Amino acid sequence: MNDPLQAMRPADDRPRQRYTLEETGFNEVPKKYRRFYRRWEGQGDELAPNEVLCPVCKVVIRSTRDLRVGDRVYCMPCMSRLVVAEGEGGRLEARVAY
Amino acid sequence: MSVGPVEPHVLATEDFLEEVHSFEFWFQAVEGYLSDRPYGRTPGLESPVLSEGDREALVTTLCNYCVGETMALEGASGMIGFAPNRQQKIFLATQAVDEARHLEVLLHRLQELGVEDAEAEIGRRANRSLLTFRDRLGRLVESKDWEAALFAQNVILECMEFTVFQTHAQTADPVTREVLEGIVKDERRHMGFGENDLGRRLAHAPHMRTRLAEIRKELDPLVLGTFEETLEELDTPRDARPELGRSYLAAVARLGFGS
Repeated sequence: MNDPLQAMRPADDRPRQRYTLEETGFNEVPKKYRRFYRRWEGQGDELAPNEVLCPVCKVVIRSTRDLRVGDRVYCMPCMSRLVVAEGEGGRLEARVAY
Repeated sequence: MSVGPVEPHVLATEDFLEEVHSFEFWFQAVEGYLSDRPYGRTPGLESPVLSEGDREALVTTLCNYCVGETMALEGASGMIGFAPNRQQKIFLATQAVDEARHLEVLLHRLQELGVEDAEAEIGRRANRSLLTFRDRLGRLVESKDWEAALFAQNVILECMEFTVFQTHAQTADPVTREVLEGIVKDERRHMGFGENDLGRRLAHAPHMRTRLAEIRKELDPLVLGTFEETLEELDTPRDARPELGRSYLAAVARLGFGS
């Protein structure tokens, strides 16, 4: 089945920076997915280029590569499907795509 | 069998939904934060002795949480029968178990605080607005109105519980804090389920929005009033309360319900 979010991917073919994800102590999903999430520490918590904040449940979502506008990510703790978008000041943010 | 990390973001949407609604996903998720915490707390964890005033306030608050959790238990289990598909039925079964656990750990905490007859205390201290909300939710479930019941329970009620428990945990005694933090982890799934399922339905049937907006208008003051009273009871500073409203309003705004 075609995923409309996949069609929204931008034509940015610069190589992606890869990230090795370590365990973060996050324990609200099955073990095999835990390193893809971490707790958000509040306003002073600066997100890395491979991270976005879930607007629904405020968990930080992590990827093994830097995120770009149009990327799809999933928040497993709250079961949300999200798309990365450009927010205020060019900062990346996740928006819910029902 | 050892299972290495699996990048969840590459899953096809259908596979993602199948995975997160499954009993297996739920079981492995709660194992992470409940397996070593009987009654939702680290064994041996102690709380300082509370003053009589603080104890009274906490008992009243926990009694009202019990009303909310009982309502959610009855609501989630009742909705299994008319959930539109298999994934939703399985998810609601896991939610019903979560709600039963919440009720049990809260009753256990009340017992630790010296409450001998929890049923009587809950009856005596229950907030009237919350009881009215419970009756209204019960009627929505009885009428097998999926969208309305889901909105009332998994969006309005769960979203408010999520934010109130998070707020309360920040100032609670260590034992109550652990109990509440465990509940919040479950609530993430419940409110996410409600918002996402409803969001998908509204995208295909936008006319539903008018009917749900009417329900929201009726139920909002009941829940907001209840939790305002709860925060008053807990002496939550006024400047911490707008955050509660913002979190809730953000959720309903994403679904297209203006204030």
